[in-house]
Amino acid sequence: MLLRLPTSLHYPITVTELLKQPNDHVDKFAPLFSYVYETEVTEGDSLGNTWQTLKKYPTRFESSVEGVLINWKIDEGAVISKPNVNIAEIEEPCAHSVQFGGMCVTCGKDMSESSYVTEQLDSSRATINMVHNNVSLTISENEAARADDEAKRRLLASKKLSLVVDLDQTIIQATVDPTVADWQKDGHNPNHDAVKDVRAFLLKDDGPGNRGCWYYIKLRPGLKGFLENVSKIYELHIYTMGTRAYAKNIANIIDPEHKIFGDRILSRDESGSSTAKNLQRLFPVDTKMVVIIDDRGDVWKWSPNLIKVTPYDFFVGIGDINSSFLPKKPGPKPSQKAAAIAGPEPRDDQTEGATKEELQPTINGNTSQELATPSAGESEAPAANNVSALEQLVAMGGGNDPATRQAQTTRQDEALAAQLEDRPLLQKQKQLEAEDAAIGSAAANEDGDSGNASPSSDDSSEPDKPKHNLLQDHDRELFQLEESLHKVHTDFYDIYYRRLSDAQGGRLGQLRGGQKRKLPSEKSDLDLVPDIEIVLPSVKSKVLAGVVIVFSGVVPLGVDVGSTDSAILARSFGARIEENVGRSTTHVVAARNRTLKVRKAIKRGKGRIKIVNPQWLTDSIHRWSKVDERPYLLDTEGKNGPHEDDDDILSESESPAASESGEDTDTSSRPSKPTLTLKTKPNKSHVDPDESEFEDVALSEIDVDEASPVGGTNEDWSGMNDELAEFLGSDAEDSDGDSVASGDTNGSSKLGMRGKKRGREENDSGDESEDGNAGKVKKKQAVGNGLTSLSQTTMAEPDGDEDEKDDGEEEEAGVGAVVNGEKEEGDGWSEFEDELERELEKDGSEDHGEG
Amino acid sequence: MYFLHDMERTITLHPSFFGPRVKEYIRGRLMEDVEGTCTGQFYIICVMDTDTQDFSEGRVVPGSAVAEYTVHYRAVVWRPFKGETVDAIVSSVNREGIFADVGPLPTFVSKHMIPSDIKWDPNATPPQFTDNGDQVIEKGTHLRIKIMGTRSDVGSMFAIGSIKEDFLGTL
Repeated sequence: MLLRLPTSLHYPITVTELLKQPNDHVDKFAPLFSYVYETEVTEGDSLGNTWQTLKKYPTRFESSVEGVLINWKIDEGAVISKPNVNIAEIEEPCAHSVQFGGMCVTCGKDMSESSYVTEQLDSSRATINMVHNNVSLTISENEAARADDEAKRRLLASKKLSLVVDLDQTIIQATVDPTVADWQKDGHNPNHDAVKDVRAFLLKDDGPGNRGCWYYIKLRPGLKGFLENVSKIYELHIYTMGTRAYAKNIANIIDPEHKIFGDRILSRDESGSSTAKNLQRLFPVDTKMVVIIDDRGDVWKWSPNLIKVTPYDFFVGIGDINSSFLPKKPGPKPSQKAAAIAGPEPRDDQTEGATKEELQPTINGNTSQELATPSAGESEAPAANNVSALEQLVAMGGGNDPATRQAQTTRQDEALAAQLEDRPLLQKQKQLEAEDAAIGSAAANEDGDSGNASPSSDDSSEPDKPKHNLLQDHDRELFQLEESLHKVHTDFYDIYYRRLSDAQGGRLGQLRGGQKRKLPSEKSDLDLVPDIEIVLPSVKSKVLAGVVIVFSGVVPLGVDVGSTDSAILARSFGARIEENVGRSTTHVVAARNRTLKVRKAIKRGKGRIKIVNPQWLTDSIHRWSKVDERPYLLDTEGKNGPHEDDDDILSESESPAASESGEDTDTSSRPSKPTLTLKTKPNKSHVDPDESEFEDVALSEIDVDEASPVGGTNEDWSGMNDELAEFLGSDAEDSDGDSVASGDTNGSSKLGMRGKKRGREENDSGDESEDGNAGKVKKKQAVGNGLTSLSQTTMAEPDGDEDEKDDGEEEEAGVGAVVNGEKEEGDGWSEFEDELERELEKDGSEDHGEG
Repeated sequence: MYFLHDMERTITLHPSFFGPRVKEYIRGRLMEDVEGTCTGQFYIICVMDTDTQDFSEGRVVPGSAVAEYTVHYRAVVWRPFKGETVDAIVSSVNREGIFADVGPLPTFVSKHMIPSDIKWDPNATPPQFTDNGDQVIEKGTHLRIKIMGTRSDVGSMFAIGSIKEDFLGTL
C-alpha cells in the first residue's frame, strides 16, 4: 500500500532521518521517519513580556499500516510543503479485500478500528456487495473484477448470458386475497378453472400483526417451459422487491429443484435501495452480459439492458403487492396499460376499476356508462400525474432513510391488511355479476344493433353466458419473451464469435509471417465480448426503425410526451416521437379518432400517415416486430352513438366535413357537382344503411358537399337543425350499431361543427346561389353520418395524385374561415377548444405559406 | 463457550399487572425480554433458577403509573472466542466462501480459509465447495470450524472461521 502524507501535519516539513530501511518490517504506530516543522509560538519571560517567535520542533511520523517496507518515495533532507505526497510503499500481509461484518475474512482483524494515525478506515477498502443473499460480505474492487472475469469466462464457456428476472407481475402474480382459496375449493365458481392451479404458501411472520399471511401465487402461463428453455442459454437471477422469505417461497414454487435460480436470489432485504433496482448490486464491474426482464422500466431507470414486459395482471385490480416500496407509477400509465392489455383479451372492461376505465372508452368505448366518464377522467389524469411525480421524487429522495423504510413497511402491511379485509376480488366478481344482470337486460333492448367494428369487443354483452368469471388466463407474453431472449442471445454470440474469429485470423496471419507471437492474453479475450447495452438496443431499434410517431389523445395534456412510458418504449424500439404531425410523420397513435392531430394527419398525410390505436404500438413492442397496421387502424370516419342528442348529431355530422375536407377534393373548384348528386343520394343511403360499398361512393360525395359551398343564412340554419334532428330521429334507430362513437366526440365534434360553420360562412360570401340546396345538403349530411358502418379510412383513399393540389385549395378554405371569424359562437366554446382552433389556424396558414 | 452469568435487569410493569401474581408477570417478562438475545458480547441462552430470583421492591416511576422492578438473575450465556472450535451448519455458499450458522452466530469461512483441495464448483446443482471426493460443502452441510475472529455490533455478532486445519471441515 502506498502511504501518503495526511493533511493534518504542519506543513512545510523537513525530513531529517529515515528510520526504516527497505525490507524492514513495519508495525502499526512504528515511527517511519523523523522530521522538523517550524511554527510561530508566543514566548514570555518572568516580567510578563511576551513575544512571537519562530521555533523548530522535531517529531516523528508513525505508520498507519503494518507490513514490509518496499521502498521510500522521499529522501532525507527533503522539504515537503503540501499533503498527499507519496512517502513509502508498504506491502501489507493482508489487503483486507474481503470483509464480513466489519472483519477481514483472511486475517480476522476488525476493520472499523480507528486511531490517531488512521487516515481511512479499513472497511472502506471493500465496499462492494458481491453476494446475492448477504449484505454483510463486502469485497474490494480488485476482487470484484476478478470474480467478474471468472464469471464471464464461465458464461462464455457455456455460451450463456445472465438474465435478471423480476417476480411480481413479470413471471408471477401474487395476492393475499383469501377469496382465491374459496374459489379454489368451490368447483362451481366461475373462476374455479382459472384459479385451480394457483399455488399458495404461508409466511409466518408476515402480514398484519405478524400473524402470518397466506400468499396466492399465479404463475404466468407457460412459465415452466419458459424457465426451462431460457435457463439453457441464460443464467437466471431473481431480483425482487419482495422480502427474502417471499422470494424464497416463490423460488420454491417456480423452481422446486433449485436448478434454474439456485441461490441467485436478491430481495429487497439485500437490495440496498427500496425504490430502485440497481444492476450494479449484482454486477458491480460491468453489465456487458446481462439482460433484465421486468414489468417496470422506471425502477431500472430504463437501463439499456432492460426488456420491458407487459405486466401480468391476472388477479384483476390487485397489481403488484410489493409495489408499495417502489415509486408510484405515474397516474395515467396504469389505465393506459390496462386498456392496452384489455384490447386483445376478452377481459371484461367493467372490472378494471375506476382508474383503469379512464381511457378505455376511447378504445373499447361502446357501452353507455363509459360514454359518460371520459371527460371527467381526462381532467383528472394530468393532476394525478403531477402528484405522483412529486411523490416519486420524495420517495426517491428518502429511499434509504430508515424512517421512510419503516413507513413503507407499514404501508405495505396496511395494503395487505386492506386486501385481506376487503377481498377486492370477491367484490369485483359480485360487481361483475351485478353488471351482468344489468347488461343482460339491457342487451335485450340493444339486441341486433351491436355491430361491433372495434376489434376489442368486450364480452360483457354476450347474453348467452350466464355467469362471468372475473379472472381470465389468456396471457401469452412469455412465449414472445422467450423468442426475444433467444434473438438477443443469438445476436450477442454472433457478434462475439465474429470478433473472436477476426482476432484469431489476425493471429494466424502473423504466424504465417513467421513471427512468433504469444497468445492473446486472457484479458484481451474478454475485451472481445460485446456489450448487451449495445446489442440489445440495436436489436430492438430495428423493430420500429423509420417510424415516426405522434401521440394523440394517449398522453394527458400538460404531460411531457417524451417522458411517458409509451414514448420511452417506442423510442427504445427505434421509433421517433414527435409532438406534432409533420412531414416525416408515419404513424399517429391515437386513442380517439377525432383529435386535432388525427384530423391534421388525415389532412396532410393522405394515406401516408397511418392512424392506429395504441394497441398497435403495444403489440409491436410486445412482439418485437412492426405488426401489420391494418387491424389497428382507427376508424377516422364519423360515427354516431345512439344516445347523442340533436346538437351532438348535428355537430358530429359536420366533423367529417372538417376532417376530410382535405382529402376529399377540389370542392370549391367544382361547386355544382355535389349539389347534383345530393338530390338522389340521401334516400338511397337511407334505404340501405348497411351497404358499405355503396356508402363509400356516397360518402365521398357527401364529403364533397360538406366542404363545398353549402350556403345558408343564419335563419336557414336553425330551420335546418330542426329538420335534421327530425330526420335523424328515425335514422338513429336502425343505424346505431357502431362502436366507435366515443364519449369524447362531444368535444371534438363541436370543433368540427365550428370548422363547418366557417366553411359555410365563407361560402355565404362566395356563392349565394347554393342556398336553395342547403337544406337538402344538410339532410344528406345527416344521413351520411347516421350511417354507421362507414369504415372508410384515410388509408383507403386512392387518389394520391389529387391530394397535392387539393392541399392548397383546402388550406385556402381554412384561411378564409379565419378571416370570416365566428358569428354564431354565442354559446361560448371552452378555452380548450379555442386553443385547438388557434393551432389549427396557425397550421392552416403555415401550410398556405408552404403551398 | 458457555458460562453461568449473574446479571441484573430493570423491568417496568404496567399497573394492570399489579396484584398477587406480580412476580409471575415479572418472571415472564424477564424470560421474554432476555432469552435468546445478544448483548453484543454474548448470547443469553437460558435464564436459570427462576424460583430464587431476587426481585427488588417495586418503585412507581414519578409522572407515570408504571412500576420499576430490578431483577437479579442468573443465566446460561454463550460467548464465542477467537480460536474456539465449534460446530456449524452451512446456510449458503458462494464463490467467496461459506456462510454458516454457529447456533445464533453468523459465521463466514473465506475461500482462503478452506483447504486448497476443496474447490468452488459453480456448475454443480446446487453450487458447492467440493474436493470431488467425499467432501461436499453445500447448504445444510455440518461443519466443524475454528473461529478466527469475532466482532460485535449493537445487538449482533459476527465471526469468521477457518476449516484449513486438521480435524476441521465436514462432519
